[in-house]
Amino acid sequence: MSTADPTTADAVHASAHKLFSFRRVGAIAGNTFRDLVRQKVFYFMVLFAVILIGASLALASLSFQGQLQTVMDVCLGAMSVFTMLLAVLSTAMLLPKDMEDRTLYTILAKPVARFEYLVGKLIGVALMLFIATLLMTAVFTAVLAYWQGREIAGIEMNESAQRAVAQIAAIKAGTFTPTLFGGIGVLFVRALVCAGLTLMLSCFATSWLFTVISALMMIIVGHLVPIARSVWQGPFGAADVPFHFAILLRIVTVFFPDMQLFNVVDDIAVGVTVGGEIFLRVAALGAGYVAIYLLVGYLLFAWREL
Amino acid sequence: MSTPAISIENLTKEFRNPSVFDRSTVTAVRNLNLTVEAGHVYGLLGPNGSGKSTTMKIVLGLVTPTSGKTFIFGRDSSDVESREAVGFLPENPYFYKFLTGSETLAFYGKLCGLGGKMLRERSRELLALVGLEDAADRRVGGYSKGMLQRIGLAQALVQEPRLLVLDEPTAGVDPAGSRQIRDLILRLKERGITVMLCSHLLSQVQEICDRIGIMHHGELLREGALEELISIENQTELVLENATPALLAELRQRAESSGARVIGTHKPQQNLERYFLEVTGEKK
Repeated sequence: MSTADPTTADAVHASAHKLFSFRRVGAIAGNTFRDLVRQKVFYFMVLFAVILIGASLALASLSFQGQLQTVMDVCLGAMSVFTMLLAVLSTAMLLPKDMEDRTLYTILAKPVARFEYLVGKLIGVALMLFIATLLMTAVFTAVLAYWQGREIAGIEMNESAQRAVAQIAAIKAGTFTPTLFGGIGVLFVRALVCAGLTLMLSCFATSWLFTVISALMMIIVGHLVPIARSVWQGPFGAADVPFHFAILLRIVTVFFPDMQLFNVVDDIAVGVTVGGEIFLRVAALGAGYVAIYLLVGYLLFAWREL
Repeated sequence: MSTPAISIENLTKEFRNPSVFDRSTVTAVRNLNLTVEAGHVYGLLGPNGSGKSTTMKIVLGLVTPTSGKTFIFGRDSSDVESREAVGFLPENPYFYKFLTGSETLAFYGKLCGLGGKMLRERSRELLALVGLEDAADRRVGGYSKGMLQRIGLAQALVQEPRLLVLDEPTAGVDPAGSRQIRDLILRLKERGITVMLCSHLLSQVQEICDRIGIMHHGELLREGALEELISIENQTELVLENATPALLAELRQRAESSGARVIGTHKPQQNLERYFLEVTGEKK
């Protein structure tokens, strides 16, 4: 053994310790990703999403616009639910599992800061969510391409050339829009926010179940944030609501994520064109939420007795 | 004098009762002062709940002390940097089951800033050291208890630490595996690595430790060099080979005539572990 050999040991210990190391974070992220990919829930949920997308074909016994609408509704709805559930369920088990198996002790007994550990875990989850979203998008795109192709084939057989060209252009423009893929991006950002929220909760929770339930509850309440804010900041102000209710509204507006921000996907599903600035705003707010959850999670985790 | 591997100064740890209705505290460690000199093998002993694991966790920065300080080679152990010099093997460790032995070492190596060729060579060396070369490409999920302890020891050594903290390193391991781990600790000691270990297996502690500390109810009751603590000052043991009954009688007579008292005579017994390893053919 080379413990007696000072060359390697000196090389290891002499290098100044970095407060944040991409190598350490990368190792944790890569390991987390591998761990998550091996979880059966991941395959099950992707498979389920695929089945749902496939089922949309059977539902669409309408005109092309109706078929397109149904496919978009079902696919975006399924992706919305699955990315969110995947984010919450996969993140919730990360910390409790490492604590139960004592792998957390061996990791944090190395020169790894708790912040690096959390960032690594979140990046691992983000990577898994990205792949999952990509897979679902691929299936979604294939389904849309199938419908588009079928409709175009029908036109070519029945219509005059000039009219057919115009109709083909209209079908193509209505099927794959930049807004549609932007909407899928919004779903991914929302899933990241859900993962950040769940990671923060798991930093102080004592059980996996508590983390899942409280995360889902916060996400549901998060859809009411605009209502709470409108009451709080309404024309009559908080003075018109009872004191305890005003406090509750304030807590909801400050601590709960505004999930309505991400409902732009609903508009996209019904064919509304959404501007690029909306997507940028959603991405920035999502990044802000994730950063805040990570910071609060770190503060909670830093004080946690292991 | 060199910097001690571990210095513990006036360490106290109180755990708050988790109940909302009961805010009382439990003192796990009470005003502990302890020094482990570099190059020693130190055994921290005590019954369950005596505070030895809490002490270890505080030294490793996993638990925050209520008061007092702990240092690793002179650095405050609450600093992440101090852990550059420490390797830790927890009791009954589990590693990521989907990783192979060499992937496990690569993972822990990367956490210590190692990479590339240096890490590959280091992993190979450590797998050879702990006798897991043949299992390097097998998933850790299929490892036996003894193999898990040995890969745990290898990960603890991955960054070539100067201090090794071992919590029950031979718990649940069969006698042959236990002996391998004990021999390994002795070899590490020869190479100048400081080892602090917690164990209930007192015979093993006696074989490998230079100094021991005995904790009970969070307090250090006794501390010192093992030889000094357990030897009986006014008694001497004389072991003879091929002694005749006449010689034994003469020795007894001479001892008694000089004022000494013969307390007893008996045939020395070999260690049960050694006997077991001889029978099973695994003695080294």
